[in-house]
Amino acid sequence: MSDWAVDVRDLTRVFGSFTAVDHVSFSVPRGEIFGFLGANGAGKTTTIRMLCGLLLPSEGNGTVSGYDIIRDYEKIKLRIGYMSQQFSLYEDLTARENLEFYGGIYGLTRRRIRERIAETLGSLGFSGHADTLAASFPTGWKQRLALGSALLHEPAIVFLDEPTSGVDPVSRRSFWLLIYRLAERGTTVFVTTHYMDEAEYCNRVAIMRQGRIVEIENPQRLKERYGAATMQDVFLKVVRGEGQ
Amino acid sequence: MNRVLMAIFRKEMIQIFRDPQSLIIVLVMPLLMLFLYGYAINLDMKRIDIAIIDESRTPESRSLVAHVTAADFFHVTARDIPTTSIGELFNARTARCVLIIPGDYASGLAAGVDPQVQLVIDASDPNVAGFITSYVGEVAAKEGAPTASASPALEAAPSLFSVSPRIFYNPEMRSTVFYVPGLIALILGLITTVLTSIAIVRERETGTMEQILVSPARPRQIIMGKILPYTLIAFIDGLLILVVGSLWFNVPVKGSFLLVNLMMLIYILAGLSLGALISTRVKSQADAFMRAQAVTNLPTMMLSGFVFPVSSMPRMFQLVSAAVPATYFMQIIRGIILKGNTISDVLPQAGILLGMDILLVALSVRSFRVRLE
Amino acid sequence: MRRVLYLVQKEFRQLLRNRPFLVLTFLSPVVQLIILGLALTTEVKNVPIAFLDNDHTSASREIREAFTASGLFDFSGMASSEAQAARLLDDWRVKIVAVVPHNFQSDMKRGLVPAVQLLVDGVDGNSAAVTLGYATATLAQVQQRWGKAAAPVGPQPSTDGTQPGMTTAQPRSPGTPRVIPRMWYNPNLDNRLNTVPMLVGILLITTTTFLMAQNIVREKEIGTLEQIMVTPVRGIELMIGKMIPFTILGFLQMTVGVIAAGLIFGIWAKGSLLLLYCLTVVFCLSTVGIGIFASTLATTQRQAMFVVQFLLSFATLTSGLFTPIANMPDVVQTITYANPLRYFFIILREIYLKGTTFRFLWKETVALAVIGAVMLAAATLRFQKRLK
Repeated sequence: MSDWAVDVRDLTRVFGSFTAVDHVSFSVPRGEIFGFLGANGAGKTTTIRMLCGLLLPSEGNGTVSGYDIIRDYEKIKLRIGYMSQQFSLYEDLTARENLEFYGGIYGLTRRRIRERIAETLGSLGFSGHADTLAASFPTGWKQRLALGSALLHEPAIVFLDEPTSGVDPVSRRSFWLLIYRLAERGTTVFVTTHYMDEAEYCNRVAIMRQGRIVEIENPQRLKERYGAATMQDVFLKVVRGEGQ
Repeated sequence: MNRVLMAIFRKEMIQIFRDPQSLIIVLVMPLLMLFLYGYAINLDMKRIDIAIIDESRTPESRSLVAHVTAADFFHVTARDIPTTSIGELFNARTARCVLIIPGDYASGLAAGVDPQVQLVIDASDPNVAGFITSYVGEVAAKEGAPTASASPALEAAPSLFSVSPRIFYNPEMRSTVFYVPGLIALILGLITTVLTSIAIVRERETGTMEQILVSPARPRQIIMGKILPYTLIAFIDGLLILVVGSLWFNVPVKGSFLLVNLMMLIYILAGLSLGALISTRVKSQADAFMRAQAVTNLPTMMLSGFVFPVSSMPRMFQLVSAAVPATYFMQIIRGIILKGNTISDVLPQAGILLGMDILLVALSVRSFRVRLE
Repeated sequence: MRRVLYLVQKEFRQLLRNRPFLVLTFLSPVVQLIILGLALTTEVKNVPIAFLDNDHTSASREIREAFTASGLFDFSGMASSEAQAARLLDDWRVKIVAVVPHNFQSDMKRGLVPAVQLLVDGVDGNSAAVTLGYATATLAQVQQRWGKAAAPVGPQPSTDGTQPGMTTAQPRSPGTPRVIPRMWYNPNLDNRLNTVPMLVGILLITTTTFLMAQNIVREKEIGTLEQIMVTPVRGIELMIGKMIPFTILGFLQMTVGVIAAGLIFGIWAKGSLLLLYCLTVVFCLSTVGIGIFASTLATTQRQAMFVVQFLLSFATLTSGLFTPIANMPDVVQTITYANPLRYFFIILREIYLKGTTFRFLWKETVALAVIGAVMLAAATLRFQKRLK
């Protein structure tokens, strides 16, 4: 059980009369790039928020990094990184100051923070702009800085909620290269997206529709099964409820 | 052209009515404020803590004490403490003043010498100090009368003339009469400027402003389309406050009710166009709020004559006060409600207000256009 | 604990970078203090007066001159008739009209005691009372000069016999107690000694509560608050991390206020500045706490501002600045127990004017501390890191 990075059963979340997430179950092994696909409103963000300890599930249970998501959600926070759709950066702080803040929050020693900042800036390609205000960064850079902030404390799992929204294709590509490097080093990457081409980059994808998971499979296999050339086509077929 | 205006107007109205929160703020808050302000501001003094040191202990001195403490004005909290402990008494705020009747009080009265009664006052609040002094002075003055007539040789010399005051408009000199009309001005000013500036900035923040700008709608129409719905709402608000305020606090409208409404409209327009002007110069709703506040709240409360008389201010501030729309409206509304002013009486102030309206609208339209380029 | 330090460091970095904000926080209080300190006075000065002379004798002329020569009044001219006098009052042109009746001088000579009427604009009861007092005193002086004692004041419209603020001429008939007032702490009855320190207090609460609430709600809006919720930072740590910088800010603003009050108005605290500062810190903790709590009630900055605005204006009104709390209806008085301004005003006034020591101010201090603690607790409870 504790070998799984994420392991959930019958995860459900209800808002009043609306069921956002409906008895969702899946398991993500360590080091996997796991993609969560779905249209807007399918339940992707709600699922992530339950896994991160931001939202209490209405039903179901599970573990993240071995910790129970209902009882030990605070402990989970030490082991995960999170990047929200809004990139949640402090625009009136510099890149370095943003990173420094998050490093301190996660309890890293001052020396370690300095080391990590240098490494992060290097791998993100910001070394020259460490002391520029985040407000003046173009969107692509903000995105990478947000990722860097989420990774500063070297979490075992990182949750990325629509990390590439509104970012140009070139930046998206380089972002995914970063993700690959992460996964190579053993970090589990849990990412939601509605860009279907990005689905191809994942080890496995789960397709959500109306709160339920309709498919969990490796993209290649999905394409074969649905006789589709691209994940885009697969998704359209799944969403329309067409058979394989 | 009118159709475009109507479309913007209608959209704005729908937005306002769909947002229950702003509706509550616009309708409930003013009433709430009316009651709070109306009740909280009450300058009539009562129950002031007093300490009595009676060194005479005669029927005469006791009579003085009884008269001083008769009405609700004073509340005796200490008696016959040593005079050295007055400092501590004041520090501990046990009493605000101390009445010291000397040992020779009664004998002094009988001999026809005016005995000196000390009134030591904690004057850290000078207003209260003033009231205390006059009240006790009056009581003391009445105290002497019976004894005086007992000695014919020392009869009071007849006076030459008397003074007969006639208080106009507010014979009981109630403070609510003064404040309630002023409150209308205050609350309206608050609502209009703040609401409009926020509405416009919100449009800009959500990006829908751009959408409208791309359309054939002219800046003039956009501004008017934004201002008019709030005019309507503020007007209803003003009416509400006026009716409730005058009925509940017993401040009857002596002049023409219709005239009051008309003047309210003019004043509201000033507030709204000021709000529009502000909105063209700020970046966020928070900014809009703060600036609208600074420009309306403070001057309206402090410099318009709401509480502090304009004539008592230094000349420089009187000039500033002259630039505040609320100053004129304050005079107009008090004049109509309390003095029964007619349209010809308020024409000068109304004219100035109208002038301000036109100026502000023109400025905001121009500022709006400038920002586009 | 280290986390709190990082939170504080982040806040300071953000605050210091925000130039307009700093100007607003430190410059505008001074400006406001100047404006309000100079402009705000309930003192009655330069009262516009008109004179209606129906007698046209040397006696009536002397009375008129008494008014024109008096520094309290602003003589604005003669009225031609009573109707015109009423018009002058209606038009706000004068606040008082003195009317000398026909045959004034001859009636006086015959011992008939004619009455000089004073028509007073009673709209502003406070000013009216003071104005009436001035006029009555002026007339009393004239009487005295004419060698006789002033008569008691004629019939007045009063409901309960107490007329606050009306100073009637003191009868000098022998055998009447004379009241000698001794003003402690503020011999000149200067209103400013009272209002200026209080203004500093108002500015302080505005900054701390308002800006605190706005700050937190803004983080809610841009999403950084959620980001922090995902980290191991605890709710209470977040609160403290916010409270410290803003309390320090309030503290600094207090210094600016104190110095401004001293340099501009010559008003320095009579008592211990150290005590003042310590109590200011406690005050700031309570106001910041309220700001934090208010922020938990709002989702947008606009809402937050409305809420705080409302709370602040209510707090200011019921703080005792405009009217004594003892005058307010009992319901309102009870509510003021939760108003930090009420206590802080007492503290300010006592230390500034009376040099009071902590021994007499501990109750207020405790009240402030309790308010702060309660607000903080309430905010922490409301601030759930995980939504249900």
